[in-house]
Amino acid sequence: MKRSVGQILGRGGIRIPLILWTIAVLYPIFWMFLGSFKSNAEIYRNPWGFPETFNWQNYVDAWTNYNIGTSVLNSFIVTIVGAVLTLMLAIPTAYAIERINFRGSKFLFTLYVSAMMIPMVLGWIPLFFLLSDLHLLDNIYGLAIVYAVSQLPFTIFVLTSFMSTIPKSLEEAAAIDGLSPYGVLWKVITPLSMSGIITVTIMNAIQFWNEYFMALIFLQSSEKYTLALAIDFISSEAQYTNAWGTLFASLVIAIVPVIILYAIFQKRIAEGMTEGAIKG
Amino acid sequence: MVQSKKQKYMFLAFCLVPTFILFAIFTLYPLFSGLYYSFFDWSGSSSNKTFIGFGNYIKLFNDAIIPNTIIHDYFLVVTKVIGIMVLAMFFAVALTQLKLKEAPFYRVIFFFPNIMSVVVIGILWMFIYNPSIGLVNSGLEFIGLESLAKPWLGDEKWALPSLVLPSVWAGIGLFMLMLIGGISNIDKSYYEAAEIDGATQWQQYWKVTVPLLWPQIKIAILYIVITTLNGSFVIVQVMTGGGPNNATHVMGSYLYQQAFVQFNFGYGATIGVMILVLSLLTVLILQFFMRREKVDY
Repeated sequence: MKRSVGQILGRGGIRIPLILWTIAVLYPIFWMFLGSFKSNAEIYRNPWGFPETFNWQNYVDAWTNYNIGTSVLNSFIVTIVGAVLTLMLAIPTAYAIERINFRGSKFLFTLYVSAMMIPMVLGWIPLFFLLSDLHLLDNIYGLAIVYAVSQLPFTIFVLTSFMSTIPKSLEEAAAIDGLSPYGVLWKVITPLSMSGIITVTIMNAIQFWNEYFMALIFLQSSEKYTLALAIDFISSEAQYTNAWGTLFASLVIAIVPVIILYAIFQKRIAEGMTEGAIKG
Repeated sequence: MVQSKKQKYMFLAFCLVPTFILFAIFTLYPLFSGLYYSFFDWSGSSSNKTFIGFGNYIKLFNDAIIPNTIIHDYFLVVTKVIGIMVLAMFFAVALTQLKLKEAPFYRVIFFFPNIMSVVVIGILWMFIYNPSIGLVNSGLEFIGLESLAKPWLGDEKWALPSLVLPSVWAGIGLFMLMLIGGISNIDKSYYEAAEIDGATQWQQYWKVTVPLLWPQIKIAILYIVITTLNGSFVIVQVMTGGGPNNATHVMGSYLYQQAFVQFNFGYGATIGVMILVLSLLTVLILQFFMRREKVDY
């Protein structure tokens, strides 16, 4: 194929905006990592360049002055409990909706799916008082339950579409071999849906790890803070203490697990999110 | 399958009931009781909860801040839709049509901000906008435009527009991937036919790519609108808290302030009802206007 000069120039030229956007995405993230190794004085003197020396003092400060270890632990608990609970609730329902004929199954599915489009802000006010009555306010397990239920519609939605690709004959064969419906669900369907389960769980976990607003409303005491709240707190304190280095260190702590998950599951996460958005 | 009716119903109940109970308690009940609370004057304790009928709704219509919060929300909706769609479309076309070797690299990088926490994004961008050490003002100084430097997030006029860039920055990757998915499903023969008919790249873009990509474009726009109306307050809360002087309050952040800072829970619920109504109406209207005959060539 012959290419005109214009086309070659065009191909070179098209890279310029792509490269610029790459820099726009990466530079702030790199800069956050670099800033976490700088002293406060250096952040002011040289905010956007390389640190003169790498020191870990900011991480130590985040750990000792702001108890960020507790927040990391809280975030892990909320994330893991929330993600497991979501699965326990979503897998049986997704299976029943997808594979068992019963009256109202369409309606139930529509009900769950339409909840994805409803702004939950309205519900947060009554939820606040409900959690308070149940003694689950300012409680990370209470928050984990709220998280799990909030991701139910999305999870059920993804899992039903995944289970619909499993051939029915497998279940029938298992049932003929004498497996109870419970056995079919846990020993046949669940393993066969594993790929979908992993995708949706990673996405839920990232969602829970990152979540800020419900944590802001439903948690109050600082020893219950999740990482997002702790960072927000350090950020508002930094207006007075100028502890920017500590703030960067805590941002890095928050983002590293996400980067690791993304590095391993990049394809799954990207596909899962686009699929979820397109079909939702 | 050999199983009695009773067994079948037992199994069905096992599958559906626990999940539905939790869903009803933590999603359905709060939504409906939010509706109910909007008719009360209520500061949180059960003793001073008084039924005031449409009192909160009358207050809503007379509250001078409310129209501004609505305008702010729709300003974010419109600017985000334009900003994200133009850039995502450009990147999607560039990455698919030009067959660059390093295309997967751009995809991986551009998508990453989509899975960053809004708190991290917000704080990063607070620094980028920082009046004394921020990248924006340093950049302006560097190219000799100091006069344009300003405390972006502290400026009543510029604070809200300043929130658009982080949202676009964080949103592009997802929509770019959605559009790429759509483009790769377009049959190559359309482009070959267009080429033979002498259509320029630009004509091919408008006459082939855009119409055939319309389902994805439509979904992308709807998705941006829904997520903005239902969630714009998170970045507002992190970056400006609604300030300066209410200049960036959107409906959700105003609800938070009324309910959880000033303890007007009844009035907060009324704002919540308004958000629900506006967001559902907007989606319905958009779907009506974006109906477009499915193209078949």
